[in-house]
Amino acid sequence: MWRYIVRRLLQTIPVILGATLLIYALVFLQPGDPIVALFGEKPVSDAVRAELEAQYNLDQPFLIQWLLFLKGALVGDFGVSYSGQPVSELIGRTLPVTFQLAFMAMIIEAILGVIAGFYAGMRRGKIFDSTMLVVSLTVIAIPIFVLGFGLQLIFGVQLQWVPPTVGSDTSFTNLILPAVVLGLVSFAYVLRLTRTSVIENLTADHVRTARAHGVSDSLVNRRHVLRNSLIPVVTFLGADLGTLMAGAVVTEGIFNINGIGNLAYQAILRGENPTVVSVVTVMVLIYVVASLLVDLLYAALDPRIRYA
Amino acid sequence: MHNHTPRQGQERFVAPAVSSELPALHVDTSHPPESQWKQAWKALRRNWLFWFSASLLVIILFVVFFPNVLTSVDPRSADLSHSLGKPQAGHIFGFDRQGYDVFSRTIHGARASVIIGLLTTIIVTIIGLFTGALAGFFGGWLDTIVSRGADIFFAIPLLLAAIVGLSALNNVWPDRGYWGGVFAVVIALAVFGWPQITRIARGAVLEIKHLEFVDAARSLGASKWRNLFTHIIPNALPPVIVTATVSLGVYIVAEATLSFLGIGLPPSVVSWGNDIAAAQPQVRSGDNLHVLFFPAGALAITVLSFMLLGDAVRDALDPKARK
Repeated sequence: MWRYIVRRLLQTIPVILGATLLIYALVFLQPGDPIVALFGEKPVSDAVRAELEAQYNLDQPFLIQWLLFLKGALVGDFGVSYSGQPVSELIGRTLPVTFQLAFMAMIIEAILGVIAGFYAGMRRGKIFDSTMLVVSLTVIAIPIFVLGFGLQLIFGVQLQWVPPTVGSDTSFTNLILPAVVLGLVSFAYVLRLTRTSVIENLTADHVRTARAHGVSDSLVNRRHVLRNSLIPVVTFLGADLGTLMAGAVVTEGIFNINGIGNLAYQAILRGENPTVVSVVTVMVLIYVVASLLVDLLYAALDPRIRYA
Repeated sequence: MHNHTPRQGQERFVAPAVSSELPALHVDTSHPPESQWKQAWKALRRNWLFWFSASLLVIILFVVFFPNVLTSVDPRSADLSHSLGKPQAGHIFGFDRQGYDVFSRTIHGARASVIIGLLTTIIVTIIGLFTGALAGFFGGWLDTIVSRGADIFFAIPLLLAAIVGLSALNNVWPDRGYWGGVFAVVIALAVFGWPQITRIARGAVLEIKHLEFVDAARSLGASKWRNLFTHIIPNALPPVIVTATVSLGVYIVAEATLSFLGIGLPPSVVSWGNDIAAAQPQVRSGDNLHVLFFPAGALAITVLSFMLLGDAVRDALDPKARK
C-alpha cells in the first residue's frame, strides 16, 4: 500500500510540472508587452521598466521565469499581480469560497444522483426511470448559464426564497442555489452512471449467488448492488472536482460570488498573467490530489483491487 | 411446501431430475458468423430512439448546410424599430433587442455550433484513437509518454484551459472572421479534449490485445501493424464511438458557454451561443423571453439529438446492453 502511494505520488510530479509549464507557455509566450499594458497610454521610463521587469522576472529567459515561479509556488508564494496585490492573498481570499461552493455542489450531486440513479436502475423502464432519463438529458443539453439564469429568476427574483445574487455574504443558505446550479450537470452524469452500473450489477453472478443464499433483498441491494455501483461514481466524482472548480467561472459570474473562478476569469480578461498561472496551478493541484484520493478510495470500495 | 414465485431479479435453477439429457447442438458453419457491426446495426434499427435522433440530426444538418432554403431574411440586418418585437407573421420567432429576426438567426446560428461540435469531435477522436491505440498496444516508454502527456492536458479543467487558450489566440490572431473564429474555438477545445479519448482507446486496446483472436492472427503470421490495424483498432472502436457522440454534445455546449463568457466566437459570427449571451438582460428581467427561448431551445434539441444517438449506439454496440 505505502509503496503504491509513493509510486503514485512520484507519478504526479511530471503531471504538475508539465501542466504548469503548458499554462505558463500559453500565458507568457504571447506577443505583447505586459509592462506597456500596465501603463496604458503613459510613457514608461527605462529605469521604471527595468525595475518592473526585475520584479516580475520578465528580464529572465522563459524557462527560468517558470522555474522561479515554481520555486515560489512550492512555499505558497505566487508573487505579486500586475496591479500590486500578492497573488497568494487573492487566492487565499477566494479559494475557500469556491471550495465551499464546489463541496456543497458535490454533496448535492452525489447524494441526489446516487439515490435517483439507484431507484431508476432498480425500476428500469418504469415511469420514474423514464422521467429521470429525460431530466438528466435535458440538464446536460441546456447550457448551464441558461439553467442558472432560469433558477435565479424563479427562486431569487420571483419567489424570493433566496437572494438572487450572493455578493460578500457567502453563508450556507446563500450558496445553496449557486451550488445546485453548479452541481446540476454532474448530477445528471452521476445519475446516469449509477443507473447503468446498478442495472449491470443486478444481473451479476455475485448478486445472484447472494440471493440464492437467501440474503434478504434489502441487504443484497445495499451491500452488493449499491456498493459495487458506487465504484465508477467515486471515480467520476474525483475527476469532477476539477470540473466544478472550472464550472465556478460561470456560476460565480451569474450569482456574483467572489470565488476563484471569478478571479481567474477577470484575470484572463485583464491580462493579469501572474494571477492566471497561479490560479490554474492551484486547480491542477486540486485535481491531482483529488484523483490520488480516488485511487486510494478504490481499494476501500472494491475488494478485488489491492495495491501492492 | 414453499412455492413462492421468484422475486424480481431472482432466478431459480432447479432442473427436473428426470430429464437432464443434453440436446444435440446444431452449429451452422455454412456462413461466417455476423460481424459485430452487422449485429449492432440489426439492434440499432429496432431502436426507435435511434430513428428519432437520426431524423432530428438529418433535419439539423440540412439547416446547417442550406439555411437559405428556410429563411430569406438576412440574420445580420437589424432594424431597431422592431427591437424586442413579439412573434408575428413573416417573423415567427419575433425580434431580439437589436432588431434582428430571431428565426433567421436561429436557423443561421446552427452552422457555427454544429460545425464546432463536429470538427472538434473528429479531431479529438483521430488524435485520441491513434495515441491511445499505440500506447496500449506497444506499452513501454511510448505508453509512459502518451499517458503522462494525456494526464498533463487532462489535469487542466477543459473550460478554464479553453478560456486561457482562446485569450492567447486572441492576441496572436485577432480579427479572424467567421471561419477563423470557428477554427479558433475548435483548436482551443481539441487541444485540451483529446486525452479523454486517448484514455478510453488505450483501455480498450489493453483489454483486446491479449484476446485469443489476436494471438491466432499472430500465429498465422500477421505482422504487428497488421494486427493493430485490422484486428485491434476495429474492435476497440465501440467505446470510442460512444464517448465521441456524447462529447460532441458537450463541445456544442462548451462553445455556447465560451461565447457567453465573451471569449468564444466573435460577436459578428451568428451563433446560438452569441444569441443566448445577448439575451442576458431579458433573462434577468424575465420578460421578452422569446429572445432566449429559440436559440437555447435549438441548441438543446441539437445536443439532445447527439446524446440520444450516442445512447442508442452504445446500447447497440454493447452485447450486454442488448435485450
